[in-house]
Amino acid sequence: MTTTTPVAGTRRRTRHTAVAWLFLTPFAIVFLLYTAVPTVAALGFSLTDLRGTDLRHPLAVDFTGLDNFVRLMEDESFLRDILNTALFVAVGVPLTMVIGFALAVVLNSGIRRLRGTFRTLFFAPVVTNVVAVALIWQYAFYADGTVNKALGAVGLAGPNWLDDPNLAMPVVILLGVWRNFGTAMVLFLAGLQAVPDDVYEAAALDGAGRWRQLRHITLPLLLPTTLMVSVLLTVFYLQAFDEPYLLTDGGPLGTTESVALYTYHQFGAGEFGMSSAASFVMLVLVALVSLVQFRLLRSRV
Amino acid sequence: MPNLSRRGALRLTAAMAVSCALPLAACGRGGDDTAATASAQPIDDSPATGSLTVWAAQGDADVLDKVVKPFRTANPDLDVKVTLIPNAEYYTKLQAAIAAGKGPDVAQFFPESQAQFLDPSILRAVPDGLVDPDGFFKSLWDAGVVDDVAYTVPWYAYTYALVYRADLAKKAGVEAPATWDEMVPFFKALQGAGAKRGLGADNGWDIFNGQDVAMYAWQAGGSLLSSDGTWTLDTPAMVDALKYNASFFTSGAADTATPTFLDAQPYFVSGKTATMITGPWVIGQLDTAAKKDGWTASHVATAPLPAGSSGSVSFSAGGSWGVLAGSGDADASWKLVRYLSQPSTQVAQYQAYSSLPAVISAWDDPAVKGQPLLDAFLTQLKNTRTFPQVSTWQQVATRIGKETEAVVKGTASAEKAAANIQSYAESLGTGAK
Repeated sequence: MTTTTPVAGTRRRTRHTAVAWLFLTPFAIVFLLYTAVPTVAALGFSLTDLRGTDLRHPLAVDFTGLDNFVRLMEDESFLRDILNTALFVAVGVPLTMVIGFALAVVLNSGIRRLRGTFRTLFFAPVVTNVVAVALIWQYAFYADGTVNKALGAVGLAGPNWLDDPNLAMPVVILLGVWRNFGTAMVLFLAGLQAVPDDVYEAAALDGAGRWRQLRHITLPLLLPTTLMVSVLLTVFYLQAFDEPYLLTDGGPLGTTESVALYTYHQFGAGEFGMSSAASFVMLVLVALVSLVQFRLLRSRV
Repeated sequence: MPNLSRRGALRLTAAMAVSCALPLAACGRGGDDTAATASAQPIDDSPATGSLTVWAAQGDADVLDKVVKPFRTANPDLDVKVTLIPNAEYYTKLQAAIAAGKGPDVAQFFPESQAQFLDPSILRAVPDGLVDPDGFFKSLWDAGVVDDVAYTVPWYAYTYALVYRADLAKKAGVEAPATWDEMVPFFKALQGAGAKRGLGADNGWDIFNGQDVAMYAWQAGGSLLSSDGTWTLDTPAMVDALKYNASFFTSGAADTATPTFLDAQPYFVSGKTATMITGPWVIGQLDTAAKKDGWTASHVATAPLPAGSSGSVSFSAGGSWGVLAGSGDADASWKLVRYLSQPSTQVAQYQAYSSLPAVISAWDDPAVKGQPLLDAFLTQLKNTRTFPQVSTWQQVATRIGKETEAVVKGTASAEKAAANIQSYAESLGTGAK
């Protein structure tokens, strides 16, 4: 009889595996169809000179190896777009985190009674349709828009925000921050609420003030949350598309064109090979930056 | 990468891409060349039967159901299903449908940007005798012809001319400018008469701006494509065109920031701008913008575009119809296209949507002739050119728009911009394999 137990165990395991696969199958099919296959196909396209006009003559497509990647590195507008994206990340991520964190701290301490209301209020931009939001921002920042009208009311002449190569990017970043600080806030708030009250009480008894508590208790204990938020936001900002596309379509003079938007524009122009190559450069960038973030922050978590 | 293992690598790439590429590649139908000749048989006058799917872009085609009503009545055994697609997505959807082999029977095209579709694998050749090619504005007809084969039949026509505030011009005591040199002084005079800006420039910085500078290059004696099919975009004429366009902005006659396309008419009506370089559709729309019947007649005048050293040339644009190679009912399709090309149908289309006829004789109809503000457009339509009939034109035109913006904003010289346009266009080629 002793031999039956492992057999039954194996059967049970096999049944569990089968059930697991059954539940995984819908996801696996969707993942294969809409992520894995297109990714592999895009990698294939990136190594060819495939263009929109070739769709009628697929056999005329040539394998060009890394030519598209070389062309990308020689394309001034692509290099500019990498810098634009870096700027989007460098300014957008810290700004979003600081605002999100500050609001989370305020909600966690002062106004407990109205926490739900404010949390909903600050989270609203995250769930609002980005197209509607972008259109409103566009109208607000037009030369004759509400922002300039408000400035005019106090005697100031507003600039042409979205047409000025120096001002368009700040507006685009601002929209990105506005759309994302709610996510950061909710995640930080969850992290803050997980910190036991007695740690603060003990620190208070030892004479630690609010600032010292924040520095020596809250921030260290929030490191895992901080890591998660920073990686999430970095990946989001690296793939910035909605905001620059809807607000400026990359203009003026390409100052707000992100790498994702470059990929889109190349695809729209029928340059499928170049577009696929650009999307792979972005994939590598996102992977590298996320890896570095994990390495840097994980050692401290 | 060397081409050493080109075949093998191509197979590998093809294998990886096959699941995505197959539906797209399906458009490379076999027997491509037979399509052009098979449909070139004469189309008789018997009633059409069967069912047709027609795709058109929203806008001028919004009234299509109403315009084809008499055709439906005359062909009771034919089912015509019209599908309207948002303008901005039209070509993308059409291209995808054609690639997947699921295109409609009849599709609308735009003469200014249809070159990529003029191929026997996509469109059937227009049958001999279906329409009289000489009856249309020449450049519109020519826009559908490749290697002496016509693939599209013109439907409506437009071109750009000057539309300006006659009341302000009268107040300033100036006439419409006839030459490039008179343009900025004219704008300035209108500003002196109360307009904030002399010109409401279209600042989309996209293909339409590419079109503007292209027509200025023609006016300066240039051409976009040489007779042997190579790009000629870094010519002195292109430099002049870029400088001429930039002068509107640097002189303060136009603003780089406003108005946008949607604002153009309200700005014009309110006097924020006093001139538009635009198409004939605005004539029928300004009363609505002004919220006053008869406002246009008492406030607006039109004139052909001021001439450069090579005359007052504009571009021809509009709508056209083609029958897809994959259509299962070419006979009924051509009967519909023939109906849409008739002068009476085009007049009906004008009355329903203000789209101007592409058939010259339809301009004699009182409905069109009784509109004096359209005269300048008719004059201009007789002096138009076709954009290059090559598949990469849209990309090149977009690049022209971007370089135009750089010149207007002073970040690039006209010479440098022209050189950039040329090198970009050369890197793309003309799409011919």
